[in-house]
Amino acid sequence: MRSNTFIQFAATLVAFVAACLFPAWSMAATHNVVLSAETLPNGQPAYKLLSHTSSNGTVPGYATEATIPGPTLFIKTGDKINVQLTNNTQSPVSFTAPGLSTGNSALAAPGQTKSYRLNARKAGTFAYHDEKAPMLGLFGAIVVDESNGHVQSYVDGDGTIVSTKRSQLSKEFVLFMVGSTFWGAEISRNGNQQPLWANPDLGAYQDDLLRFHVLAVGPGHTFHLHAHRWIEPGSSQKTPHIIDTHILDDLNNSHVFTIKAGTGVGPGVWQLHCHLISHMQSGMNSRIHVVARDSGQSADSIVGASPSGAIFLNDSDQPGLVTFIVSDEPAGWFRSARGDALSPVTHTKSLEIIPPGSSVHFVMSDTAGVHTITSLLWPSEAGHNDHGGDHFMIPFDETKAYRGGAILKLNVPGLYVFTCKIHPFMFAAVIVDDPATDGLDLGNTIDLISGVKNLPTSSDLATRLLHTFFVTTVPKNWQDFTSPNPWKIAYPDVDVVVDIGKVSLPAVLNARYGNDISLSPLPRPAVPGIGEVWVDTQFEKTAGKTKPGTITVVDTSNWTLKRKIALPQINMNNPHNMWPNRDHSIVYTTQWFDNKLTAIKQKTGKLASNVQVGDSPSHVMTLPNTDDITVAINGENDIVIIPAGTTKVNYALLTQSHGQAPGNPHGHWISADGKRIITPNINTHDAGFYDVEDGKIVARTATGEGQPGAHPIAIGMLPDSSKVYAANLLHHSVSVMDGDGNFIKNINLIEHYDPISGAINGPIGILPIQSPVSPDGKVMVTASYGGQIVVIDTRTDSIVKSLPCDPGCHGANFGAKKGGGYYAYITNKFSNRLIVVDPDPNGDGDLSDAEIAGAVTLVADSRVPKDDKISSLAGFGGQGIVALPNVYNGWVQNLNSQWSAGLTDQQRNPVQ
Amino acid sequence: MELEFGCGFPTHDSHPLHHLKRSCKTLSTGIAWSMATLALLLLFSGTTAAAGNLHNIVIYAERLPGNLYGYRMAGHIVRQPDGTQIDITNRYVTSTATIPGPTIILDEGDIADIELLHQFDPHTPFQEHVSLHVHGVHYDRESDGTLKYINLYKDESAVPHLSYVYRWNAAPGTAGTWPYHDHNMENHNGAEDKGLFGALIVRSAAEARQAKTSSNRAHVSPNVAKDYVFYLGDDAFWAMEIDNATGKQTALGTNPPLTAQRNTNVRFHLIALGTNFHQFELPKYQWIDPGTRNTINRKVLGPLEKHVFTVKATHSSRYQDTAFASRLLGMRGDFIITR
Repeated sequence: MRSNTFIQFAATLVAFVAACLFPAWSMAATHNVVLSAETLPNGQPAYKLLSHTSSNGTVPGYATEATIPGPTLFIKTGDKINVQLTNNTQSPVSFTAPGLSTGNSALAAPGQTKSYRLNARKAGTFAYHDEKAPMLGLFGAIVVDESNGHVQSYVDGDGTIVSTKRSQLSKEFVLFMVGSTFWGAEISRNGNQQPLWANPDLGAYQDDLLRFHVLAVGPGHTFHLHAHRWIEPGSSQKTPHIIDTHILDDLNNSHVFTIKAGTGVGPGVWQLHCHLISHMQSGMNSRIHVVARDSGQSADSIVGASPSGAIFLNDSDQPGLVTFIVSDEPAGWFRSARGDALSPVTHTKSLEIIPPGSSVHFVMSDTAGVHTITSLLWPSEAGHNDHGGDHFMIPFDETKAYRGGAILKLNVPGLYVFTCKIHPFMFAAVIVDDPATDGLDLGNTIDLISGVKNLPTSSDLATRLLHTFFVTTVPKNWQDFTSPNPWKIAYPDVDVVVDIGKVSLPAVLNARYGNDISLSPLPRPAVPGIGEVWVDTQFEKTAGKTKPGTITVVDTSNWTLKRKIALPQINMNNPHNMWPNRDHSIVYTTQWFDNKLTAIKQKTGKLASNVQVGDSPSHVMTLPNTDDITVAINGENDIVIIPAGTTKVNYALLTQSHGQAPGNPHGHWISADGKRIITPNINTHDAGFYDVEDGKIVARTATGEGQPGAHPIAIGMLPDSSKVYAANLLHHSVSVMDGDGNFIKNINLIEHYDPISGAINGPIGILPIQSPVSPDGKVMVTASYGGQIVVIDTRTDSIVKSLPCDPGCHGANFGAKKGGGYYAYITNKFSNRLIVVDPDPNGDGDLSDAEIAGAVTLVADSRVPKDDKISSLAGFGGQGIVALPNVYNGWVQNLNSQWSAGLTDQQRNPVQ
Repeated sequence: MELEFGCGFPTHDSHPLHHLKRSCKTLSTGIAWSMATLALLLLFSGTTAAAGNLHNIVIYAERLPGNLYGYRMAGHIVRQPDGTQIDITNRYVTSTATIPGPTIILDEGDIADIELLHQFDPHTPFQEHVSLHVHGVHYDRESDGTLKYINLYKDESAVPHLSYVYRWNAAPGTAGTWPYHDHNMENHNGAEDKGLFGALIVRSAAEARQAKTSSNRAHVSPNVAKDYVFYLGDDAFWAMEIDNATGKQTALGTNPPLTAQRNTNVRFHLIALGTNFHQFELPKYQWIDPGTRNTINRKVLGPLEKHVFTVKATHSSRYQDTAFASRLLGMRGDFIITR
């Protein structure tokens, strides 16, 4: 007994002395945390806490399910954490906590378990997350507190700074700002954790002390909470910097502060939101309900939309959430997080189904570009002001392109289609289905972004858009001219409810647009062209890079492929449009889903330079007089200029005045004298005329008859600059202006189309895109997404005829035909061939005999030189196209003798 | 007092803005309008006996050329605790709406009642609402300036023919520079990116005392000659200058040259707004990062963050935003030192 007592006493003494000398060290604990990575019902991955044991014996009460954000780990400075992670998802996952991690972070393959070690040296809140795709849901917080129990002081209503201990807190909130969504969790006073999911409504009693842990993974944010203020972390206690908005500018950034709820302002429902205007517009807001303690009102938080909530195939009482990953990957640009699981039935990965009251969510986690999330069409009723404020959100749109995501609750049954204004073939469809009805509810009528209202869902235009959706978003629905089989379009085998009742979706679409159509390959053109044609085969994938896109070089002397250029060393991403320099030693291409302009050596196909120019650059042209490079920055608000012979942007020419909505110019054109740039401003629905020398705006002319979403996308111009054409993608028209921007007329390309019955009684062009004018000024051709090539006589500005094109018909440019005249080269996004149009085969100036001269495959066989192995989608994604020699007036005169050699005198001087 | 404010504004005849009184009376909804003001004043009459001043401010929200909007100062009366009142309207630009809008200067302890009038085309769809949402200072749930869709209480907007009065309480602990902006035009996010923004400067009690006793009757701060309110938009700086000797505000437009007299102190109030992040620099100058002892020469700012610093004007330089897009878009201007 005596000796035991002595030992006890001695041990106590040692512990006491140690505690005095090394307080932090002595209390340091070791935590063993066992996690798994799970897949939630909507396809998003999430961390789940399986067990947490601590050498100091105290662990919080964790949620029993996998949650977003993952479990919040509370530890103290000096603690160590051993993490064991088992991967129960279908993809490799990992765990890292920058600032805390020691050693490397191993990747756990599906089914594998890996271990990680963390050391908490300094206090703060740290994000832990998956390294590869953290924005999708694999993220959580580790709170490292001071061992003395102090948290940040708060500012009281009378201005006093009050020091605070964690034990005084009523609640803590963890809010992850990811994409354009808040993901929340609440930690109660007794340490119990509750997931609050997406954009929850927080709750608190007035005068509750609350600590917020705001964290971000992915693109940055600023956090703002209405009616409250707090001390900026890092401030001195004596003269603190009081703020109410704070930046989270990097991956892993965090911002922690304490407030007294409602102090100085009283009860209320106070918004908290990201203060980036684009993120506000994309739905990034939540609220905190501060209620008086004696009011009888609940101070409980209200859970937001949940990946485990009510969505198709997952019954739940909670509001659900479907998530689309925004991607640079062809067809799956808006890809449901559970697209792989759904697509055996839906074929597309871009269709989701939810009950009313659930939400749709987008996260730009797999893209290097900027985008918008914009309603293309929606149930007419959803835009009306009688659904508790839905009309504030629908049509859904943002003023400018951005990095982030979007979140939107949908209450009205029917069909919603979203697109990106910058890349208007990115589609996601959501059917809000009333479970009480038999068949999927498409609603009675839809409204379109282009201003069409109350269009019956059984109309030809509505079903044509659905057909376009299923062709665009499913690669196996694309026209493969190397396949011996007929062109088969797969649709989900479902009944849908439209204005005329329940119908079979595939039966209607097959009856209206055909199926199992045999593709007859066209012969090559009989008359050769001059030189080369370079095609941006934007969707073709190669083995050596993660991003899609190649350039296909066609030799027009014999219509064979000369080269494939993938540039794996720069992971070239969605090359979109090209133009050569003056001596044709270099061809420039834009990377539309990135921020670079890439210069390629014409002779070898090798990389010359790769220059940052701005977000989502679309088109490139040179100034004919100086050879300076001009690039339309489609994701922003300017044309940037790179002086000839240099590799740095010199200055930018703004497409609008200061403070105005960005123009987001797409396919510009330049006058033959190099003095004027004309841009189609897709965001502001106008053609902008700019003076190159002084950078001033000459005119901005509304196109598409001022319709709200005309979406001018490409400019064509007469060689003498006397007339300018703007193709309006969503208005199905071409607007004609004079060289100073005065409006002349609008050419309606769907005059001969009845959108209800679908009757077509003349030439049409649905969804017109590139629309160049021939170098001699006689003809304009318009490649139309809907599958037509429209031939327009520039003397009368009227449609002469329309020729059949492939799905996603997109690019057009002229090159010299051997012996005189011009070919119009036409590309298609969803077929793998180049179509060659001869607008005037006999050269008599009468365009009525315009015809398709032939076609050339864009699929390379083994003999074609390439810098990377073609892995899939061979030859697909034809967009920008340019012919060398460049025979447009203003440029053709500058050709060197090597490139002008094969041209006729007339081709060398197209305007006599 | 209530009667005097029957139309949301002092009605003595000598007031330069007597036209306001007339327009108020000619409005068909004038009665409802005054009732709203009256009700608010009654509601707050118990709390106006604070130590500070009571500011009665009238602001118009107006349309500007080029699809932009702006706030215009219509009148600002300061009622001091001793009952005297000073009309400081002539310090502002009153001839037109400006971007940024008027810089409102309060002292810690002051209260401001700000009546906002909707003065643009009421027939434009989705533009029936316009509001003032302020950062930093105290306000109760009547004055958040948000829509009912957000606050679950009411639409706190000026609408055509009906003004709205917001009460801002520059309570102790709210000293600093804060943004104010619209939150309600077009939708629940407002049109802050279309020009409807401005700055509120709350002078600390200490600074306010110093200013009152200083020999040159400084209007913002006795320690600085000029204040520059600098909004960093996505494509330009929008600047306003306040001369401390006169209190006079001058809207400078976008990316203007700034001038300062050699060896005087000038203060920058930076507020970012829009979607982009910025990196502000003033080459060859350095300053104290607020709340710290750190000397810095550049500052990264995200939308609606503020950053206030003072420098002694010793040599000409150039203010600039060196973020990639900002640099290309020409976000810079001269800082010129005069003798």
